[in-house]
Amino acid sequence: MAGLNGDPFLGIDDNIEKLQYNNNSKEAIDKEGLVVGIGEDSSNNKNNNQGGEKDMAGNSIHRSGSRPQLDLSKAEIQGNSEERDPTILLPNQTDDISHLALDIGGSLIKLVYFSRHEDQSVDDKRKKIVKERLGISNGNRRNFPVLGGRLHFVKFETSKLNECLDFISSKQLHRGGIDSHHWNSEAPANENAVIKATGGGAYKFADLFKERLGVSIDKEDEMDCLVAGANFLLKAIRHEAFTHMEGHKEFVQIDHNDLFPYLLVNIGSGVSIIKVDGDGKFQRVSGTNVGGGTYWGLGSFDELLELSQRGDNRTIDMLVGDIYGGMDYSKIGLSASTIASSFGKAISDKKELQDYRPEDISLSLLRMISYNIGQISYLNALRFGLKRIFFGGFFIRGHAYTMDTISFAVHFWSKGEAQAMFLRHEGFLGAVGAFMSYQKHGLDDLMVHHLVERFPMGAPYTGGKIHGPPLGDLNEKISWMEKFVLKGTEITAPVPMAPPGTTGLGGFEVPSSRGATLRSDASALNVGVLHLVPTLEVFPLLADPKMYEPNTIDLSDHKELEYWFTVLSGHLPDLVDKAVASEGGTDDAKRRGDAFARAFSAHLARLMEEPAAYGKLGLANLLELREECLREFQFLDAYRSIKQRENEASLAVLPDLLLELDHMDEETRLLTLIEGVLAANIFDWGSRACVDFYHKGTIIEIYRMSRNKMQRPWRVDDFDLFKERMLGSEGKKPRPHKRALLFVDNSGADIVLGMLPLARELLRRGTEVVLVANSLPALNDVTAMEVPDIVAEAAKHCDILRRAAEAGGLLVDAMNNNSLDGSRGNSSSVPLMVVENGCGSPCIDLRQVSSELAAAAKHADLVILEGMGRALHTNFNARFKCEALKLAMVKNQRLAEKLIKGKIYDCVCRYEPAT
Amino acid sequence: MDHLAHVSNQPNSQPQSQISHLALDIGGSLIKLVYFCRYDDNCRDDDELRSQNESLGSESDNSRPVLGGKLHFAKFETSKINDCLEFIHSMKLHLGGFHDCTAPSSDKIFIKATGGGAYKFADLFKEKLGVSLDKEDEMECLVTGANFLLKAVHQEAFTYLDGQKEFAQIDPNDLYPYLLVNIGSGVSMIKVDGDGKFERVSGTSLGGGTFWGLGRLLTKCKNFDELLELSHQGNNRVIDMLVGDIYGGTDYAKIGLSATTIASSFGKAISDNKGLVDYKPEDISRSLLRMISNNIGQISYLNALRFGLKRIFFAGFFIRGHAYTMDTISVAVNFWSKGEAEAMFLRHEGFLGALGAFMSYEKQCLDGLTVNKIPQRFPISVSSAGNKIYCSMNGKSNDNESIECTVYRT
Repeated sequence: MAGLNGDPFLGIDDNIEKLQYNNNSKEAIDKEGLVVGIGEDSSNNKNNNQGGEKDMAGNSIHRSGSRPQLDLSKAEIQGNSEERDPTILLPNQTDDISHLALDIGGSLIKLVYFSRHEDQSVDDKRKKIVKERLGISNGNRRNFPVLGGRLHFVKFETSKLNECLDFISSKQLHRGGIDSHHWNSEAPANENAVIKATGGGAYKFADLFKERLGVSIDKEDEMDCLVAGANFLLKAIRHEAFTHMEGHKEFVQIDHNDLFPYLLVNIGSGVSIIKVDGDGKFQRVSGTNVGGGTYWGLGSFDELLELSQRGDNRTIDMLVGDIYGGMDYSKIGLSASTIASSFGKAISDKKELQDYRPEDISLSLLRMISYNIGQISYLNALRFGLKRIFFGGFFIRGHAYTMDTISFAVHFWSKGEAQAMFLRHEGFLGAVGAFMSYQKHGLDDLMVHHLVERFPMGAPYTGGKIHGPPLGDLNEKISWMEKFVLKGTEITAPVPMAPPGTTGLGGFEVPSSRGATLRSDASALNVGVLHLVPTLEVFPLLADPKMYEPNTIDLSDHKELEYWFTVLSGHLPDLVDKAVASEGGTDDAKRRGDAFARAFSAHLARLMEEPAAYGKLGLANLLELREECLREFQFLDAYRSIKQRENEASLAVLPDLLLELDHMDEETRLLTLIEGVLAANIFDWGSRACVDFYHKGTIIEIYRMSRNKMQRPWRVDDFDLFKERMLGSEGKKPRPHKRALLFVDNSGADIVLGMLPLARELLRRGTEVVLVANSLPALNDVTAMEVPDIVAEAAKHCDILRRAAEAGGLLVDAMNNNSLDGSRGNSSSVPLMVVENGCGSPCIDLRQVSSELAAAAKHADLVILEGMGRALHTNFNARFKCEALKLAMVKNQRLAEKLIKGKIYDCVCRYEPAT
Repeated sequence: MDHLAHVSNQPNSQPQSQISHLALDIGGSLIKLVYFCRYDDNCRDDDELRSQNESLGSESDNSRPVLGGKLHFAKFETSKINDCLEFIHSMKLHLGGFHDCTAPSSDKIFIKATGGGAYKFADLFKEKLGVSLDKEDEMECLVTGANFLLKAVHQEAFTYLDGQKEFAQIDPNDLYPYLLVNIGSGVSMIKVDGDGKFERVSGTSLGGGTFWGLGRLLTKCKNFDELLELSHQGNNRVIDMLVGDIYGGTDYAKIGLSATTIASSFGKAISDNKGLVDYKPEDISRSLLRMISNNIGQISYLNALRFGLKRIFFAGFFIRGHAYTMDTISVAVNFWSKGEAEAMFLRHEGFLGALGAFMSYEKQCLDGLTVNKIPQRFPISVSSAGNKIYCSMNGKSNDNESIECTVYRT
């Protein structure tokens, strides 16, 4: 029908046509009411003469509300203008910049809102000097047009609209968030505030928003929003898309340069099938009226999806086997269990509706609709030569069986050529798209490495259901946790779970994720808060950033996950003790400690049940989760006192060690230094096995014992290669490295007796040294805040370190007698510097490092990764553009076996030339 | 249904070969029978016979034996298979009308059958009638049946759009390739490239069985035809969610959806505070019919597009000449193809499989026989001479219960 061609006025034509049509025909069939859909050439409308009016109509859709624009007149920077991200006062700004967008659907309201990070930049003088040395200009701000902040995702039931309004009101989201006083502190309630919204409710509830919140709803087109949202999520979030076959979920890394074209299938009440060719470039090519509405409409049961998991469609569907007496129709490739006719069995049975189990009906409906959508989607993908089909919309809602069924349909009909993919934020496409439609959000150029997803304990994370408002207050979190534990058996008690397997049948008829092995919410995915950290960058020395995978251990292997689950659970009581002690052991600290333990256990249990619940899961993620969880309950540094004690003890014996080293010849010294790094790496509170050592002697005793035990060859032993690079052979002296990045691990002996002496040796050879340490505490790992003090203390007994530290600006605070300018003037030495790595985990994902580290890497020609977390759990297989040395003692039997086919306490010294 | 068998012996007929006169298509919901009865002297007068022979003109070779008779069509619900067995038994169809010679012992009798029931009910046929079912592949039968009908029967195919039925002239030389959509309990979509050359390219489980099964559960209708009848009086807008329901009565003009477009079949039943039982059965029936017809039309078109096929023939028992069904399917094909493709229907839509099974006798039992020229009662221009079979419709165009035909022995 020519009528349905994307022209706003064609509806009228259609009506005329229909009138005539009805006159002509006794069989009144409303053609235009046939099916949802529009042809591919919608833009080439034949009614060109209406183009002008069309534009006007388009404008009325898009610009119905005034767009918020910043009024920059008389803007001034508030507070210290030297801060990195100073807030800007805009006294003449009249429209509030809203940080909120809504998608108000028939059943759910989805909110996306942005909150800025509290400014916690510690811009001390020391840091400034390091920056100068590294060539980081103070004009940084211009490099980061986006303010750091968090993108929150929240859902409410549409029927509980008032809760949603209360939530918005309490957080002042319609006024740009609670922090809006930064923007316009004196502003009275603003009549012009505008919120972007999409979905049918944007029309329906516009008056209510005006009345309750005094804001206008600016309605954005639904398709525009869907596409904008999908494009943003697919580009900005690393593990947004995944496949789901036979109960097995696998994340797909999408190269955002190779994203288009793709087919987006949004399954709401009806189904829209959209071909997406680029940002804002898309076409609704097809659709079907058999969608979610059909499911719920025909089903008319509460908890229909829940029901379907216990259902058996074979009681109601007519299968090939029913027709063929239990046999396959193998000639055309239909097995006996293939559905021949949905609901076909109901024709011959004597049963009435109420005689069928609701769950069977529900499953039968679900399969009918899912297959059909999968099939029509595939046929459309085929038509346009699209390989990738992304399915989204509220019908799916992370329901494993639905995804399996759609995947099977696509796989079956395409004979494996096309792939069905799903999106973790499937329900939020529209809301994200509406958010993106604000012109001034500055998120357009956002890159994957700028975003870090976190799973706060404040929001119910059992997933799939309605998310309540995130809890901000610590007390709320704790009491929520306590309530949670009361109900815990129902919600997250770890359930013995059969590992995802296959049915062996392979056909599209029996997805395995059905019935007993699937819990009601088992496949519901969690959506965390997106932390937007514009200062994060990809580590520039990675040889192939696209192929880089930080995790060495893949936790999708269920046995592996089980093992680490056990290890982390075993650690937990000790960790809680330490955490509580670090906060003075008060009652409050104990209460928080309990809440932390519960929260972390619940997270672990959730992940055991659904390893991909938070996206792709690697060991690094698991370890980081623990640190995040501690911070969530305000344990900022559980190992603070332990770290301090060990640093002091180690620093006390450092002068003796340096003396010993200085008496050795160059070759022996190098070996001893590497041995020392490996030996000192035994001091690791993250390793159960090593914690036991602490009861056996003093630090230096253990260190020496450990070093003496070093028997070469180590399990992985490239020392000779490294030695040759450092010292040369046959009298040829190789040139020293220009700059070395030393990724340090633990506090205490590890850094003081292991890495510092190695750094000193490099400095002595004329190599600039940058010590790279954590931005935030993780276990007993040394942080970038702590390293300068350690270096300063060590420098008291060592001229090499002192001069280098001065040159690197590390001694500004520690040495008051030297003038500030002297730090650079005294440049007879190459500098020793410290930078933060941008993370707070025992592992490191080199795709997301601090801009400081990225800058420091610029002239580096040697990277030394030390310790299990950074050199083994992650980055063991990482390749670098420059030389790399990976040093670690394996303090875990399983890891030793798995990674190097060795034993616990085996050592790794892996040297790799530049690639 | 006319179950009368008119059997006649041609004067110059040879002693009977082992020709069975019955073929079956036992589907999930219906059993279709095709059986051949020779003209009986009692019902065909000599004048008529003579005129037939005359009309055959020079094409007829009087030296060849001719079996004159009628192909009869009958159907039973699969659930009432005993009625069917009884019918066959009473008509002695399984004995192939061997009443004028010694019937072979029945355990050597094979009856051609297709459809899943040919497997499922084989034992039952053996037990009740003492005959073996010779199982023919379902798709092959469908295609053979369709090819036969499209080539041999004048005015077999027609289009149905805007309530207008129009017979299509199919040039037998320009028949292939086409898409055959057989809507039985389920739906098979077959790309046909020639005699015996075909591929089942797609299908859907939303078919006649879904309409009937879901419809029966939701409306308490007793049979398929009653349900179809109901749909005539229904109004799907009561229960379907239309674009206008979402957009407050306005079109979603930007993407070309008018307010009356169905956004979601049965979608209104979510928000209304009534159960499906509160809706009128006729509305449910109509909504269901539109949902399934639309869907079949859409998937068929997408498959036709995929293989560049312009013609789509819809057949199978779901359609049963029901105007609204055909109209919906036609509009769907027309809509999605923007008028590029055309839906066509077959008058013998339900009997393709059974006919195909019947034709398969040719290979084995009609050894040495070629089914050939058909006597014509009505002047019909028969185009091609190269085809083996010509049939003419007997009687009114809607009467598809029998086709007169003649079987020649070569």
